Amino acid sequence: MKVRFKLNGKWVEVDAKPNEILLDTLRLKLGARSVKRGCETAECGACTVLLDGKPVYSCTILTPMVEGREVITVDYLAETGEIQPLMEAFAEHGAVQCGFCTPGFILTAYAFLKQNPRPSEWEVRKAVEGNLCRCTGYQKIIEAILDAAERMRKSNGNK
Amino acid sequence: MPEDPYSLIERWMKARSFLVIGKSVTRADAIEKILGRAKYVEDFLDGALFAKMVLSTEPHARILGIDDSAALRIKGVRRVITARDVPGINEVGYALPDQPLLADKKVRYIGDTVALVVADDFEAALRGAEEVDVKYEPLPHILDPLEAMERTDVLIHEENGSNIAFRTKVRKGDVEEGFSKADVVVENEYRTHRQDHIYLETEAALAVPGLDGRLTVITAAQHPHLAQKIVAKVLGVNWSDIKIIVPYLGGGFGGKDDEGPLVAAKAALAAYLTGKPVFLEYTREESILVHPKRESTIIKYKSGATNDGKLVAAEITIIHDTGAYANRGPFILWRATVHATGPYKVPNVKVDGYAVYTNKVPQGSYRGFGNPSAQFAAESQMDLLAEKLGMDPVEFRLKNLLRPGDDTATGQVLEDSVGIAEALEKLAKVADWKRKRETYGKDTGRFRRGIGVAVAWHGISTSRGVPDWSNAYLKVERDGSVTVHTGIVEIGQGSPNSSHRQIVAEVLGIPPEKVKVVYGTTDAPDTGATHASRGTTVGAIGPFIAAAKVRERLERLASELLHAPVEQIEFVNGIIKVRGTDKQITWEKLIDEAYKRGVEVSATGYFFLPKGKFDDEKGRGFAYPAYSFIAMIAEVEVDTWTGVTRVTRVWPALAAGKIINPQQVEGQIEGAVAQGMGYVLMEQFVFDERGRILNPNLTDYVIPTALDMPQVMKPVYVEDLFKYSPFGAKGVGEMALIPAPAAIANAVAHALGIRFTQLPLTPERILLTLRGEK
Ligand code: FES
Ligand code: FES
Repeated sequence: MKVRFKLNGKWVEVDAKPNEILLDTLRLKLGARSVKRGCETAECGACTVLLDGKPVYSCTILTPMVEGREVITVDYLAETGEIQPLMEAFAEHGAVQCGFCTPGFILTAYAFLKQNPRPSEWEVRKAVEGNLCRCTGYQKIIEAILDAAERMRKSNGNK
Repeated sequence: MPEDPYSLIERWMKARSFLVIGKSVTRADAIEKILGRAKYVEDFLDGALFAKMVLSTEPHARILGIDDSAALRIKGVRRVITARDVPGINEVGYALPDQPLLADKKVRYIGDTVALVVADDFEAALRGAEEVDVKYEPLPHILDPLEAMERTDVLIHEENGSNIAFRTKVRKGDVEEGFSKADVVVENEYRTHRQDHIYLETEAALAVPGLDGRLTVITAAQHPHLAQKIVAKVLGVNWSDIKIIVPYLGGGFGGKDDEGPLVAAKAALAAYLTGKPVFLEYTREESILVHPKRESTIIKYKSGATNDGKLVAAEITIIHDTGAYANRGPFILWRATVHATGPYKVPNVKVDGYAVYTNKVPQGSYRGFGNPSAQFAAESQMDLLAEKLGMDPVEFRLKNLLRPGDDTATGQVLEDSVGIAEALEKLAKVADWKRKRETYGKDTGRFRRGIGVAVAWHGISTSRGVPDWSNAYLKVERDGSVTVHTGIVEIGQGSPNSSHRQIVAEVLGIPPEKVKVVYGTTDAPDTGATHASRGTTVGAIGPFIAAAKVRERLERLASELLHAPVEQIEFVNGIIKVRGTDKQITWEKLIDEAYKRGVEVSATGYFFLPKGKFDDEKGRGFAYPAYSFIAMIAEVEVDTWTGVTRVTRVWPALAAGKIINPQQVEGQIEGAVAQGMGYVLMEQFVFDERGRILNPNLTDYVIPTALDMPQVMKPVYVEDLFKYSPFGAKGVGEMALIPAPAAIANAVAHALGIRFTQLPLTPERILLTLRGEK
């Protein structure tokens, strides 16, 4: 069946099977390879995308369900520059090891910081609970997100 | 001798001021990973056939026949591949020749690979795999290693004549005499369990025939040259006909050292037989069912000390449940056997190790490699002995820790690079150990605080005299940028993208941005595996020596150009100067001159690690060229109502030689603490009575999230330099995992006043024990 949705600012149309998961459509048909496959059972968060602004696991969303809706991946936010502070903070804090989980963390953190620009450490931990990382022990990721929040507040304040 | 590796290593070991070594230089791959542009195996998938494995559903059975007719009738299925189709040798065991790539006569665990189905698309491959009909004649199976050791009527590998796959031993002094001098003796049996790596990226390989005249396999492996060897063997072709590329990997932790070459061989076999590119990726469930895990162990441990706090003897029996195949089990058992005393001076030692076959998923390489379980037993014993002696656990350890000039359990004298005692002393201060040890452990309410300590050691390189070397190729391009080719891979640890770049940049006196490391390729010389914490300590010697050779040639050239003696030439951030003058030349200009004047600016760096001999018969001799050491203090709070243990803070102290990049080292420590904590408190497999894993998914096999993690404090470093490595660095990657189970278990024992000898310390186990139900 034909499914039309907005991907990273552009309308796209794909032929999808009724039981096709959005993760496969994005990775294999639309070339959005920043979305990673870690478990396909809604446990790891590597496949996180923003659906109408909210982080979701694309491995549990059937593609027909996104008809008419908006899907955003990290590629788009890099282009618009909106994740610049997160990007810098992750790199500088050493929050990246194998990097397989990283795009998912960036999307979850981005959506969370929009809602809560002044979070406590505990709130950040809670927000990324659904994203697994097996390499870093999370500490540097949490530090990076807290630092990114501060960078964002500063740059907003300067405007 | 000009360009002699020993003198090059020595020259740079003397350096006292550094441009980039010891600094937290941001790794080269951070941004592309953050933006999701870094390519992992699946990201190369473009128009290939799909392969799917047919896995054994029997724990132990003879294969009577495989009927593929129904599978071949499915539209899109091209081929069903079984053991009979293997053109080369169907044998892939790393330590013993006991494991076929595709099961031939028998299957030995639920998850053994029986066949491969190759199809045009994933769905067809999946349906085809379901339709392959394997006829089994079930055989009695054994899951318990103690039972397997006793029985000879049921043999998992008939040709072996016993279910004991391998034995090891270490002997020193006379344990009976030692125990006769002991004032206190502690004897216990410890049990530890299997652990899965849960790298976020599962095993995958894409095999493409005919690219530049070779069969190219893009695979998730930790040693490209080993994958090359296995693929060539299975296909019956020359190694040079196979090219392996290891792109970015979504984690490895040892697991892809074992399974990486095998997934490569499976995809390569299918590509070879169909003549088409073939892609094979394990699902999470397949990954968990199939690939080898951290060893499960039974460790019987007896140790004794005198009233003045000196260890006198240790007698230890280690039994590893090696599962269906030996895999790397013998090497893992060696490591456990050699490290079983802990980093202590013990005059009388007897260690016996047994790796035993059972019909379960094999044991394999996992960060720590047999050592976390050994140190858990050793360090539990140390606490119990301290308690009997009425001594503080730190004080008791300090009385016995190895110091320079002491000999280890195998009788090897460690002349230098032994900084553990200093590390523990400093750590105890930083963590405020004394006060906490006295105050905690006295709570009587719902929440009970405890603090525990553990130390550990880990031999650098492979066990005993097994040869180990580093080899790499470096060239300075005409514009002054530098390309390094190495077989070391990027599994997340970052060595090619951080420490290698820093080391080469330091030696050449240029900014790290000028250095590009091409890693994970068989087109580089064999650099050895990215395992055993050797990525930097051994792996980087190759690039280091290559750079040091080029530097000497360039120093001579600069001395000519600037009319000054070589000793006065300095390389600083891309400027070559004569010390104390304003004479200088840029790096780019110098390189251009080198090209014009016939100075070679490419080099291979090669170093063969000097080692001694270990006598297997006597159980004595040389074990490792050096050891990395770590001390760890952990603070916990146990909820006696729910049984939940929360680790609140962890203090690490490393004696691992020169720290090349502190931020990367912290990352390794924090990640290892997470895996160690997960192992002790939550991660555990449930096997049914046929040895099937009942929880092969992340819902029921629970690993730590951001909410579970303790705060890992800044590490204490004691830089006890190692004489055969770049700048004196020793291994780091595995270190923090090794004492973590012991430190946390010791803290729980302190909190509750109850000693647990079996892991994991799940809420259920703690509650049952608290209620006295055990
Ligand atoms: S792949 Fe979707 S949550 Fe793991
Ligand atoms: S960096 Fe490897 S899983 Fe997070």
